[in-house]
Amino acid sequence: MPAQPPTILILPLGRLETLVLCVVAGYIQGILKVPVDIGETVEVPQETYIPDRHQYDAGLLICFLREFALSYRCVLGITSVDITLPIFTHVFGEAELGGHAALVSTYRLGKDTHGRRVTDAVFYERVAKVVLHEIGHVFSLYHCGDGKCVMRFSAKLDGLDEIPLYFCDRCYFLLRRMIFRNRAGEGT
Amino acid sequence: MANARILVVDDELIVRESLMGWLRKAGHIVDCAQGGLEALGKIRETEYDLVFLDIKMPDMSGIEVLEKICECSPETMVIMITAYGSVETAVEAMKLGASDYLMKPFEPEHLLVLVDKLLKQKRIIEENVLLKEQVAARRVRYQDLVGASPCMQRLFELIEEVAAVDSPVLIRGETGTGKELVAKAIHAKSRRRYGPFVAINCGAFPENLLESELFGFEAGAFTGAVKTRKGRIEMAEGGTLFLDEVGEIPLKMQIDMLRVLEEKRFQRLGGRDFISVDFRCVAATHGNLEEEIRKGNFRKDLYFRLKVIEIEVPPLRKRKEDIGLLAEYFLSRFRRETNKSVMAITKDAIEFLESYDWPGNVRELENAIERAVVLAKDKVLTRKDFAFLTRQPDVLDEGDKTLEAVEKHHIARVLEECGWNVSKAARVLGINRTTLHNKIKKYNLKDRQQ
Repeated sequence: MPAQPPTILILPLGRLETLVLCVVAGYIQGILKVPVDIGETVEVPQETYIPDRHQYDAGLLICFLREFALSYRCVLGITSVDITLPIFTHVFGEAELGGHAALVSTYRLGKDTHGRRVTDAVFYERVAKVVLHEIGHVFSLYHCGDGKCVMRFSAKLDGLDEIPLYFCDRCYFLLRRMIFRNRAGEGT
Repeated sequence: MANARILVVDDELIVRESLMGWLRKAGHIVDCAQGGLEALGKIRETEYDLVFLDIKMPDMSGIEVLEKICECSPETMVIMITAYGSVETAVEAMKLGASDYLMKPFEPEHLLVLVDKLLKQKRIIEENVLLKEQVAARRVRYQDLVGASPCMQRLFELIEEVAAVDSPVLIRGETGTGKELVAKAIHAKSRRRYGPFVAINCGAFPENLLESELFGFEAGAFTGAVKTRKGRIEMAEGGTLFLDEVGEIPLKMQIDMLRVLEEKRFQRLGGRDFISVDFRCVAATHGNLEEEIRKGNFRKDLYFRLKVIEIEVPPLRKRKEDIGLLAEYFLSRFRRETNKSVMAITKDAIEFLESYDWPGNVRELENAIERAVVLAKDKVLTRKDFAFLTRQPDVLDEGDKTLEAVEKHHIARVLEECGWNVSKAARVLGINRTTLHNKIKKYNLKDRQQ
């Protein structure tokens, strides 16, 4: 039986700890049950920098990441720089709804609301939640009203800590259906 | 509220895309427009729940677009998008009808809360409008009539139609069904509503008194007529004359009544001059006028003159679904009138009331609720409070089963129940006061409390 082609490419944007990439890959494979590749580190394009806000434009970074999708269903950029969309003050992540690219920033996830460092366990859990949430969007999932679902929208750290690290039954069913549909498409 | 229809209006591509992306992820259906003119075009074609509107745009200002939206789509919620420094304009926009504003850049959480809040508000407004429409369509209360049953809804529609014309109306229905309320409703809805509503119970007067009561009299017309007095017909000038128990009008007076209805003029008793009157005649009867015509007690020509339009008021037993509604209505009225804190009627009690036959119709129900409220010891009326409705009548003498004995017994019982209020008892018995007085005298009935 031939090995399944990798579905998701994790692409480090700029300097990152390898452990973060491994944790993210582990969660994706464990929860979404899809093969994952970890790509070579790519520098964060300077044209995405917004000088007056000292942040990077998540919309432009998504466009940049899209170029790497090629044979992957989804390319997930992970970065430690602060990202935003121009209308917002910040975002933890961004994704193309039903598209091919997602982006997660670890910049704001390592501290609590008072600016103190959180434990590694909390940090990795937050990263994993944002990753699963953004990948959910790539596979066409909307925000979920269920408080017990990782697709529930949360733009604040305390809100992020409250949502679980799994999908509700409905979202998981829809997600698996989309992944299966894509795989079937690859075979034809 | 996912799946709301939202329009994003901004000349900056990045703003449009960012907002659209986020809103789509929240499950909404999102369109966009680059400027005010394009936005107004879309708003004319599509009904949007929410519009995000930039204040500064090259072709039209956001304020101008807002004014147009308020004109052509007032139910649409508008959120103004403003940059730092143009808050004053945003506040002005709020005064002009914008629902809220967002100052760029904003917290994503703030956007979520705002969108949720406005969509909830919109849903509540829509529900409210819907509810009002449903209530208006259902019209549980129509003037002083209460009823949600199909037959009452038909009655309300009929009243509405009948009120629009000026023809005579004959209202039929058992005693206590609310015939006078129907007459009042017709009057209140008609063009004569600013004129008087004059009612007369034709069965409540002896023959000669009814004549003077209806037609009035000139001074010296008969012994005791010291000065001229207007009759009810004359008093009804410009309004509605309600002839209750019209079947009780003596035969020889019926011809005079017919003439008044046909010619709209009459003479006072003892008068020579004809007095012209303009009134609408609404008559009511609980009896069978056709049967009275057959027996020769009622004139056929008057009957046809009165029943140009006929309305049948249904008995309560044929609209049992209204009993709960009526009970609540009377409860709230008597709570106010008696100052008692009886707040509710149990479901069990309502079921019991629905199972009762109500020979005295709504009036009997009204009296039953009044009695229960007055005697209630708790804040809630239960089935026990209505036990008097099914109390077995006292046993009649074994040997006396004549119709007279039964009538005497029944009248005595009703008088007791009504606290010897003769008018009330007469209404419950379905006879006029004079008849009841005659019966009291005949059977030598006496108030034992006195």
